[in-house]
Amino acid sequence: MTRLILVSGKGGVGKSSLAAGLALAHQRAGARVLGIDVAGTGGLAAHLGLTRLEFKPVEVKPGLDALTVDRAKALIEYLQVQVGIPGLATLGPAARFFDALASTAPGVREVVTLGKVIWEVLQRRYDIVVGDCPPTGQVTGLLRAPRTVAELVPAGRIRHQADLMSEVLDSSEQSELVLVTLPEELPTLETEETLEVLAKEKLIGSTMVVTNRVLPPLDTEAKGTGVVAEAASMHRSLYRRQQQWLERLPPRKTFNYLFGLLTESEVAARLSEEWGE
Amino acid sequence: MMASKAIVVTGAGGVGKTTVAAALGVKAASQGKKTLVLTVDPARRLADALGVELGGRPRRHPELETLSAGMLDSAASWITVARRHADPEVADRLVTNEFFEAATIHFPASQSYAAAEEATAYIESRKWDLVVIDTPPAAGGIEFFTAPARMSELVGGRLLRLLTGGRIPGRTALFNRGAKPLLRFADQLLGSDLLERVAQFAMDLRTTYDGVSRRSRAIEGHFRRAITLVVTTADPAPLSEAARFFIELPEVASAPKAVVFNRTLPADWVGAAIPPRTPTALADNLRRWEAEAHRQRDARNGFAARFRVPLVTIPWLTEDPTDRHTLEAVVDEASAWPALW
Repeated sequence: MTRLILVSGKGGVGKSSLAAGLALAHQRAGARVLGIDVAGTGGLAAHLGLTRLEFKPVEVKPGLDALTVDRAKALIEYLQVQVGIPGLATLGPAARFFDALASTAPGVREVVTLGKVIWEVLQRRYDIVVGDCPPTGQVTGLLRAPRTVAELVPAGRIRHQADLMSEVLDSSEQSELVLVTLPEELPTLETEETLEVLAKEKLIGSTMVVTNRVLPPLDTEAKGTGVVAEAASMHRSLYRRQQQWLERLPPRKTFNYLFGLLTESEVAARLSEEWGE
Repeated sequence: MMASKAIVVTGAGGVGKTTVAAALGVKAASQGKKTLVLTVDPARRLADALGVELGGRPRRHPELETLSAGMLDSAASWITVARRHADPEVADRLVTNEFFEAATIHFPASQSYAAAEEATAYIESRKWDLVVIDTPPAAGGIEFFTAPARMSELVGGRLLRLLTGGRIPGRTALFNRGAKPLLRFADQLLGSDLLERVAQFAMDLRTTYDGVSRRSRAIEGHFRRAITLVVTTADPAPLSEAARFFIELPEVASAPKAVVFNRTLPADWVGAAIPPRTPTALADNLRRWEAEAHRQRDARNGFAARFRVPLVTIPWLTEDPTDRHTLEAVVDEASAWPALW
């Protein structure tokens, strides 16, 4: 069975870096991993040290492939391969027609995007599929899509496909959503709200909260002088404030604040070490 | 009097856009400009500091009478658009259509569009000298600015044209001959009359086109006349997004007037000497933050060299602003601002 791990969180909390780190950590542990840029922002590519991803998987390193969900291509693949309409490539107008439909009919766009992710899970070519998802504001809509479609479409092949997707998402052994947050006010509140929606609507098998950019304590009461004192005082204030938010929403795992790192791939490599622990 | 001057504050999520927008508004107001700050989902304490009620229309600040603050309704969307631009009867049918609620959620441009429409209505009301607008994060960055064009295109009947093969038809001509094979194909696939229901929805939506396209052009005009500021931190992800704004914003709005680096560490931490007999834990702490300050400086210099743009730096505040004085301090403690009002 291929496991599905989706990563989301409020904008700016470090979703892509933690998703890339998670994919790298599993690859190092010997799993065959596929990373998917579900959000389509290019963040995953940058954190894997690539300039861009394609709709076809590319090898990042042995055991780790990655792809991005190009919506137009995903739509054609969805209709052709997943729903099973042969010869659609020659039906140019039909593809455009469905793309237009996808802009208006609720859930279609999401079902196509999520459909690609779940298709890869069902192919069992990998041990783990890691999805770098849109922010929390949109991820509930994404997860809700198979049900939205099921409500609107009472029968037919698209309905069948939506039901298959729900089956994967609902399994607590197979599917997990990692919600990334920061020990600050707005990310904490938004994570709490998202957890509530996820639990109420049972949108995914299991969830896990992880908190990023957590400062270490200062192991001394000394104050120092000059610049040393300034840095210590600032660190203590930030640390105290972070602890309040950590107490309010205790995470399953915390990731250290990374001081002085410059590039996205450096950040992802460090986070992958922390995932490994 | 012309429409109010507008400052649009944009940038990636989590960099402090809302705080910067609020601080600029307070500063302008305290210098005597009649100012309106429009925020989106502010933190509780920031809302209190501005005297804004959650979900509320603009109101006067209790202490600073030149300042008003209001919230853009980030949940408002096609309902607002429909009520504003469709006949009452069509609007009723639209908002009760089964697709409507879902479409509201699933087409984020509609939310950005509604927010932009609301914001520009305040600019045009001429009640203020200056309107400072915090952009909604939901749709993500540049989409706030492209929403008017996308919304016009959508209600303009891209879907309808494809459904009907060209002309915008009357209701009876909806399913014309040219479209029929496609329609049969779609019905077989969807196993229902889903398409017909979508078409009804699209047709009703089409009636808002004249209103929406007119407003869209007006909104775009305001975006081009506004001062835009891009807020970022020195972290890689917000910086990439800030770069995107500098590349793409000139297409749909005015070019950014400055980049604002929030959470900036003191420049003199870079290369600071550590006095002898400093406890190890404190020395290690300074070295960590020095590395961070160093990285920030490199990131700022790199950005300024690439885009040749004025840099504004705001110090890293360990406490959130809680009243108008601490908000004003955010502007005062920053490095030099370009002329904004």
